[in-house]
Amino acid sequence: MIPLDRYPKEITLRDDTHAVLRPMIPGDADGVWRFLRQLPEIDKAHFREDVDQREVVDRWAKSLDYDAALPILAMQGDGVVGSATLYRNRTGWKQRVGIVRILIAPDFRHKGLGTAMIREIRYLGEKAALNYLLAEVIEEQQAAVRALERMGFEKAFVHRKFVNDRTGRLHNLVVLLHPMSGLEEDTFY
Amino acid sequence: MRASGTASSGKKVECPYKGGAFMGLRAGHDLLYFGRWRRMDATAIDVRKAHHQMKRLLGEIAISLETEDIPPARKDLEKALEALYTAESGEGGPDALRYLDHALSYAHRVIGDLLHEKGLPPHSPADFAGWYDAGEVPFREDW
Repeated sequence: MIPLDRYPKEITLRDDTHAVLRPMIPGDADGVWRFLRQLPEIDKAHFREDVDQREVVDRWAKSLDYDAALPILAMQGDGVVGSATLYRNRTGWKQRVGIVRILIAPDFRHKGLGTAMIREIRYLGEKAALNYLLAEVIEEQQAAVRALERMGFEKAFVHRKFVNDRTGRLHNLVVLLHPMSGLEEDTFY
Repeated sequence: MRASGTASSGKKVECPYKGGAFMGLRAGHDLLYFGRWRRMDATAIDVRKAHHQMKRLLGEIAISLETEDIPPARKDLEKALEALYTAESGEGGPDALRYLDHALSYAHRVIGDLLHEKGLPPHSPADFAGWYDAGEVPFREDW
């Protein structure tokens, strides 16, 4: 169980505006829906479901399970301006690997929000005693790749022409890993 | 750290590090970031001085972290210390400079984590480049 008592957490962005970070709640369906509609197609390519369908977002909001997927939203007023989700497996061989997805609204890029969200996910990953955080990013999203690398993620693989966007066009997929403290503790048993 | 400086116009300028959270750490970081040891014409004395400054900075960071619950920052501090020790054992070769550079990057990340916990924006040395008469800095946070 990850402690969530640090939320809501107010942060200051590079332009001196503020955002509040907090876990998504069922009442956020509308805000998340409006947020997703602002994102460029390439940012939505990884979703397994069609997030242009309102019912998909409604279903997510109704079935929140923080132990499986913990979505932290960045709010400005009533609007969602960013999200960072930590996906975890309760059992199985990847239960110590957390998968990270970070999305930032186009108007809120270049303000340090993406980096702040990465810091938040690193904190949560440590608290969840994970061994690794794993982020998958399409190679064109260079700002995201650089930000992840500056925060300690290391490029593990680049899979050429590996994933397709929603128009069917192929893209290179960059897989980045962040080793966590738990990894070193596990080495000795 | 000097308390004031002189702009190219000859006018006295106030130290930009006065006030604010973790300003001692930020100033300590930038002294290294803009330090002579990173220049092509750096001498062995410049590098030696940078080692001492780094040791002092990491010590001050460790004190600031004592009262904070930020596991990633503790891990980065450990990595910074490890890089510093590796740099010190390198006897001034090019790898030693690289490891000192790594230690500075880890220190920067820890300072960023401390600021983030207080809800403040990350530290960007670029904002202070004018104080050091630095023409350009390698990067700015861009995401």
